[in-house]
Amino acid sequence: MSLLRCENVTVRFGGVVACDSIHLEVAEGKIVGLIGPNGAGKTTLFNVLSRFQDLDAGEVYYRDRPISRLKASQIVRLGIARTFQNINLFAEQSVMDNILIGGHRHLGNAFAHMFALPAARRSERRIEARAVEIAEMLHLEDELDTAVGNLAYGYQKRVEFARALAAQPEIMLLDEPVAGCNDAETAELEGIVRWINQSLGITVLLVEHDMSMVMGICDYVYVIDTGTNLAAGTPSEVQSNREVIVAYLGEADA
Amino acid sequence: MVEAVPGAIGRVPATDRKAVSGLKSRFEHQNWAAAIVFFVALSVMPSLPFFEGWMASQAALIIIYIMAAQGVSILTGYTGLVTVGHGGFLAIGAYTAALLAKYTGLSVIPGMLAGGAMAALIGMVLGLVFLRLAGAFMAIGTLGFAFFIGAVVNDVPIFEGRTGISLPPNTLFGFEIEDYGFYYVCVVALALITLFIYVLMRSGVGRAFKALRDSEKAAEASGVNRLLYRTLAFTISAFITGVAGALNGQIVNYVSAEVYGDIWYSVDILVAAIVGGSRFLFGPYLGGFFVVMVPFFFEELADFAFILKGVVLIAVLMFAPAGLAAVLARPVRALRDRLLVAAGSDSGRRAGERGGAP
Repeated sequence: MSLLRCENVTVRFGGVVACDSIHLEVAEGKIVGLIGPNGAGKTTLFNVLSRFQDLDAGEVYYRDRPISRLKASQIVRLGIARTFQNINLFAEQSVMDNILIGGHRHLGNAFAHMFALPAARRSERRIEARAVEIAEMLHLEDELDTAVGNLAYGYQKRVEFARALAAQPEIMLLDEPVAGCNDAETAELEGIVRWINQSLGITVLLVEHDMSMVMGICDYVYVIDTGTNLAAGTPSEVQSNREVIVAYLGEADA
Repeated sequence: MVEAVPGAIGRVPATDRKAVSGLKSRFEHQNWAAAIVFFVALSVMPSLPFFEGWMASQAALIIIYIMAAQGVSILTGYTGLVTVGHGGFLAIGAYTAALLAKYTGLSVIPGMLAGGAMAALIGMVLGLVFLRLAGAFMAIGTLGFAFFIGAVVNDVPIFEGRTGISLPPNTLFGFEIEDYGFYYVCVVALALITLFIYVLMRSGVGRAFKALRDSEKAAEASGVNRLLYRTLAFTISAFITGVAGALNGQIVNYVSAEVYGDIWYSVDILVAAIVGGSRFLFGPYLGGFFVVMVPFFFEELADFAFILKGVVLIAVLMFAPAGLAAVLARPVRALRDRLLVAAGSDSGRRAGERGGAP
């Protein structure tokens, strides 16, 4: 069964059609990649999925439920968490606070929290325990008090993963997780994505430029170009697809 | 529990987590001790030999400004929304308590709560409107609100314009209270509001406020409903400033458009919040003291006091944009960081936002 499905998703910016009838399906338990040259519409599609962007036509379904009318803040409550292309964290706040915000979905009654009522204190303790657990799993436990803005880039990426994980999602949308990372950091994040999928059982949809990473970890790959579906298949199928090669490398002289 | 990410990512830690968390709870206790000492001092101050009635009134006035600035700090400091019209809420609190006292004989504490509640209600409605405006437009909207309230109290007959409304003597539990009694009401209100802000900002709700301030996108992606939480912040902020407003009318048993008809209160309490440091629990304490005591010390030179306020505001924005509280907290923080490092914490890089003692 597909967990997340796009049908004919179309987004226009004035005269530009950023996404033109895009179709995409993410099967539960898989790692699915979304690739395409610059300007292909990947990030726009991602923003549609997480409701930071309205669509002009088509629909997005999560477990067969249409979601294109929800607020961005409601998406995570369905079990969809996302990360951002350029890290988007609360830079002045500590690693712990950043992860705790990820657990906002589990807060419960806000008014109980404002007055520190017993029920709120219990849920707060659960969120805190979960945050520490996630930090330990991602080897961030010694940085819990550090302001995120003072961490190295690779660490910040991990904090962003931790924040998304704190929501305890069923699916994670990763927007270019290794953009701007060096080789060591890329290998590290690749390991984390694999671990999120295999050990935590979370479905992953990732947008990525780094070909070797996509080909290495994805079960299935969608290729889009100039806002339309170009190809889809297993990594090896996609790699040998002539249209894909043309889109990426240009037409070879005959 | 699931096992951690495989492979030796990250460095090998040398942190003694038990020692570090022990130190942290000790710092917490120190903050509490400082706060308790401070409030005990406020409580015994009136029994000192040189203390006189007018000092109680002056101290109560400072406390009122502190609370008004605390209301502002909820928005500007913790939620990242600039308001330049909070004098409007001060006026709403003052007039609500004054009218109720005049026509129904409501006493000090119910009047104070009614003033806060009315401000909160109007704050909530305004929040829903203003929060759809982005950045500077919202600030201009709040300014317009302050002008609007000023015009209303000037021109709508029930508010009695520049003639003003005289309140009956203040009563508490059926007894008439004067300078000293009113001072203690203010001290208790201040303690409760400060405690409330402390609890609020450590809760998931305060976390959501700060998250919206630091990155709207990341906050929303984490499930924080922007409109709901900002409206909540607006409402809480208006309530606190409204309480201060009610007390501000009660303390002189008089409200008039002469005082509440223009936007100087808005400016004064914003200056108090900024100069004091609106991200610190005790920032408004410094700011409230500053804003009240500068004109007091330069009574003969009212214009000079005005200029001095402006100069200090500019100096603070240039040299200590986080406010005087940040300057005072720095050595304490540096010392605590050294202790944490000694305990093995990787700390020269600690988060910059742990509150100090109030």
